[in-house]
Amino acid sequence: MSDGEYDYLIKFLALGDSGVGKTSFLYQYTDGKFNSKFITTVGIDFREKRLVYKSTGPDGSSGKGQKIHMQLWDTAGQERFRSLTTAFFRDAMGFLLLFDLSNEQSFLNVRNWMSQLQMHAYCEKPDIVLCGNKCDLTDQRVVSEEQARELAQKYEISYFETSAANGQNVSQAVDVLLDLIMKRMEQCVDKSWIPDGTVRANGPTNPDISESSDRNKCAC
Amino acid sequence: MACEKEIWQKIGEGFVQEYYNQFDNSNRMGLGNLYSADACLTWEGTPFQGREAITGKLANLPFKRIKHIITEQDFQPTVDSCILIMVFGQLQVDDDPPMAFHQVFMLKSQNCAWACTNDVFRLGIHNIPV
Repeated sequence: MSDGEYDYLIKFLALGDSGVGKTSFLYQYTDGKFNSKFITTVGIDFREKRLVYKSTGPDGSSGKGQKIHMQLWDTAGQERFRSLTTAFFRDAMGFLLLFDLSNEQSFLNVRNWMSQLQMHAYCEKPDIVLCGNKCDLTDQRVVSEEQARELAQKYEISYFETSAANGQNVSQAVDVLLDLIMKRMEQCVDKSWIPDGTVRANGPTNPDISESSDRNKCAC
Repeated sequence: MACEKEIWQKIGEGFVQEYYNQFDNSNRMGLGNLYSADACLTWEGTPFQGREAITGKLANLPFKRIKHIITEQDFQPTVDSCILIMVFGQLQVDDDPPMAFHQVFMLKSQNCAWACTNDVFRLGIHNIPV
């Protein structure tokens, strides 16, 4: 499943109430398709994508490309049968927090998801991108862009209005999250928060990053 | 070779049909009647003892609609005249993607009726972080 060379294995977790479109969102991102019926292969709970990340310096210059193997984990509704293990949160490096612009309760529950994240993620302020999904359903919309932006601002996280149906802002949201993660890794003096297996031992890795494998709290 | 189904297989199939029919098409309160008074349920690793606790768990699962599709079911008679059932299938809840599940039942004849004494349920999910 993870053949071939890569520099970084990045795990993202999609969170949010049931029915907000997490699975469709990830499917749109990895396969560029929307399947409203969703005939899926039962048992697959994450999707994968390979890409090359080029960091951009403050002057706009781009650095050496890093091969990224991205795993996008989906809870796929299993939280209705079993409580999500805290490991689910702990192992992820970034979070896509989705709500449904046509479902106010899913927006109100964003604060619950945020407190869960602050409690169980690898550090108290993990990288999160908030997505107001189903923005294509304009006539059913009940959450305004201002409300959503206000909430995102309060938590100091980025906000996107997305549509898993037509693809609007889907890859942009994931790109911003990846950028946050890569910047955090570059900036982190203490690399000890990086979960095991993130940096591939046999890949052309940065030795500074691969040195430590302790799972301490983020120190940045 | 076509042959007559064994009695324990017929009873087992009848139970499975009734169980998932009630699960999918009722408010799930009635499911408790299929269990013996002191039955055990293990739901995703969490134990529930007794008909009341089991009914409470099943009736309060957080979804509106559920549909089970049985892929395969196997039956065995036990040495103490019970029936062991293993069900392997898929379920779909509200608008979520379908998931695989496994469920094992033990049926025992009590007062001239068959009741479920043991029930073990698991989703067919792998790659669970520990």
